[in-house]
Amino acid sequence: MEKNIINTEIAEQGSPEVPSLIRYISSNEIAGFDTSDTQLPRPTAKGSEAISPEREHDESAVIHHQRKLSISISMPLCSEEAQLQPLDTIIDDGIPISSSQSGTASSSHPQPSKCYSQPMPEGHEHQEADNHPGIKAFKDKRFDSFKTWSGSLNRKLSILRRKRQRETPQDVNNNSRSTDRPLPVHRYYDALEGPELETLRASEETVLPQDRKWPFLLRFPVSSFGICLGVGSQAILWKAIATSPSTKFLHISLKINLIFWFISVALTATVFTTYLLKIILYFEAVRREYYHPIRVNYFFAPWVSLLFLAHGVPPSVTKDLPNALWYILMTPILCLELKIYGQWMSGGTRRLSKVANPTNHLSVVGNFVGALLGASMGLKEGPIFFYAIGLAHYIVVFVTLYQRLPTNETLPKELHPVFFMFVAPPVVASMAWASIQDSFDYGSRISYFIGLFLYFSLAVRVNFFRGFTFSLAWWAYTFPMASTASATVRYANEVTNVVTKTLSVILSLMSTLIIAAVLVSTILHALVFKDLFPNDHAIAISHGKRRPEKKCLALGYTSHDSVEIDLEASTPLPNGREINLHSI
Amino acid sequence: MVAKRSLTSLNSILTKFHAGYFRISLSLGGQALWWKTLIESPTHDVTSALRRLLCTLPSSAFLALWSLALFTLVLLSLLYLLRCLIADFLHPVRVNYLFAPWISWLLLLQSAPFVAPKTPTYLVMWWVFAVPVVVLDVKFYGQMSVIGNLVGAQAAANMGWKERAVCLFSLGMVHYLVLFVTLYQRSGGDRLPVLLRPVFFLFFAAPSVASLASEFMVGTFDTASKMLFFLSLVLFTSLICRPTLFRRSMRRLNVAWWAYSFPITALALLSTNYMHLLLALSVLVYLFLTFFTLLNSKMLLPDNDPIIASLLIS
Repeated sequence: MEKNIINTEIAEQGSPEVPSLIRYISSNEIAGFDTSDTQLPRPTAKGSEAISPEREHDESAVIHHQRKLSISISMPLCSEEAQLQPLDTIIDDGIPISSSQSGTASSSHPQPSKCYSQPMPEGHEHQEADNHPGIKAFKDKRFDSFKTWSGSLNRKLSILRRKRQRETPQDVNNNSRSTDRPLPVHRYYDALEGPELETLRASEETVLPQDRKWPFLLRFPVSSFGICLGVGSQAILWKAIATSPSTKFLHISLKINLIFWFISVALTATVFTTYLLKIILYFEAVRREYYHPIRVNYFFAPWVSLLFLAHGVPPSVTKDLPNALWYILMTPILCLELKIYGQWMSGGTRRLSKVANPTNHLSVVGNFVGALLGASMGLKEGPIFFYAIGLAHYIVVFVTLYQRLPTNETLPKELHPVFFMFVAPPVVASMAWASIQDSFDYGSRISYFIGLFLYFSLAVRVNFFRGFTFSLAWWAYTFPMASTASATVRYANEVTNVVTKTLSVILSLMSTLIIAAVLVSTILHALVFKDLFPNDHAIAISHGKRRPEKKCLALGYTSHDSVEIDLEASTPLPNGREINLHSI
Repeated sequence: MVAKRSLTSLNSILTKFHAGYFRISLSLGGQALWWKTLIESPTHDVTSALRRLLCTLPSSAFLALWSLALFTLVLLSLLYLLRCLIADFLHPVRVNYLFAPWISWLLLLQSAPFVAPKTPTYLVMWWVFAVPVVVLDVKFYGQMSVIGNLVGAQAAANMGWKERAVCLFSLGMVHYLVLFVTLYQRSGGDRLPVLLRPVFFLFFAAPSVASLASEFMVGTFDTASKMLFFLSLVLFTSLICRPTLFRRSMRRLNVAWWAYSFPITALALLSTNYMHLLLALSVLVYLFLTFFTLLNSKMLLPDNDPIIASLLIS
């Protein structure tokens, strides 16, 4: 509350410079808090003491510190600004303005404030000169040097950590170690809730500020690749409709396939580029998504998107794809599978009975898509390989999700768009088997009928899918629906009668309507309501340990049972929260 | 006095002996079958060089290996008969190894140098070894029981018994489906002791043997056999990529190490059509285990066997 009051006062004083200033105040305060944790034996007390002097600062003190900044020069500490610099370039603020603001913001911390003395005069000069070429030259130089500085900064920090670990007591060592280690899987379950495990519990805090919108890349989740899956599967569907004899009576042209394919290429390139930037600039966020028990399944989505592009390519673009392309696309999928499936099996904290959720189907369906593409390209052994892996693990995931084991934490009582992913593996598997065997035989039909049954089983429960606000998760509807329509077109080629033709038309129409609705909603939420990419709490949870956990860890093997007991004890919370939300 | 000492030592040996030791006979039987399969396989472009190499070895080498396997199995069986006074029947995990002797006998039957299939002797012995597997099936089911059914199906197919082979194969496959799902659903309470982690390798033995059985029944390495082979290959690769899982269990020699050999040999039996790295790996693992077992014969019956300890606790 007091921090907010201070921020409000500062905002009132300098309204044009409010966003950057408040952002830096928050980030610096958090950073300082972390630093004091690692440095001092009693982080809580020292933190509170550090906060109290800030309240006593007044305008004259701030001005006084600014004057001091212009006098002192300290080269090594200037590298700390390199950490903040990427934020500047991303936010597209002028470098001189942000430098002066950050100098003002960090006046409460003597050590960090020294590093801002170096750019101050230069910034001032550039402001006076007001030359665009000069500003550009300034940007380029800063950008190059900052990369190098950030590298050396990390090395210096690691050296300092080692020294402090030797000097400081054991508790501080534990704290520093916890910050280095990746988040354990149970922290995600402790801190988050909801069907996508991305809603922050009331008792938890994030390591990033709550009162501001974060940089766009930090709010861009890996599940955005679901958009590519939806549009890519549409391109495949319209290619199947245009080229199948059973749907010739519709007189659909291949131009629709061409249009969808190009849209899909553009979308995939955009999402790939954006996420690549996120990997480059915010690797820690990507790392936390990878360790998230649900988000990790979406790491299969980029490669499946590329497989869709390869499979849905219009004949006018290219007729024959090189075989090497298939191996290039399937290699990362195989590596991911060895990692993820191995975790399920080896019985650690990420075993399947604990982390099972409908998005696991994404990690399975990649096998069938790969088998389908490979077989249609004329390959034989590779598609059988991936079909076997997919079939075996699909059975495992399917049975596990049906059983709703007591050790499973993420499955909610109500349904959710990702439940439609139940439909995708069997229908894609039926098409894959048809391509491998070169006919839609009994194996394909069994698989197709299973998928069709699941489709209708979910469709008649449309009420369960209401009540959720729109989000990127809604794209989970599009890909299974398009795949079911494609499989139906394929089936109608084998069994051509009025029923199969009608079913093809109805399912294709449903698929197109759904993707149109989801696309329009996405555009509206992105441009009009501007809430398509909210702050991503799922990747901002803290390492914060609870005292019971420490005791459990000290007890050795019994800690597992204790931890699971804690998880069970925490399950009533979601109901309470939901009741409160409904009452509100 | 000498008689008393020998009785005491025999009792000590029997007390420490348990059905898990049949992993050794499983490994030897698998190696014998693999050697015979390789020698008798039709000439193939890739394997012809390896086959010529094996033919240069005197035929007595294979006979020696088979005899060693037979001797080991007979010895283990005798020890186990004497051990039956203490009931292994009651242990939930070790009961699976009651299938191991019968599987070993079936493997030796298939690779026997002087008993041809489709003879009355082969027929009688198949019944003698397959009936206990079915009887144990009715009692309980585990990973080893699946392998028992599939090896029995393979031996039956060797005699041209299509119906019996399909029957045993179906039993094996249906229950393997359940086991495969359960493998991924183990809760935290079922964690294996660290020393027994090598038995993870048994997870890909079943699809390997299933692929072999399917090939024998159909007569060709068709799509179903390929799919089962690929599944076992991926499970094998997944375990190979996790050496840390097995590091702690490898510090001291333990009879559980023999769990590595049979699954790799079963996978190697399949690999004659694809790759030859697994062949060398199979032989190397087998020789390595034999060498270390002979060097550390005392470790075969350790005083602090975790299995015996857990039995006493329960």
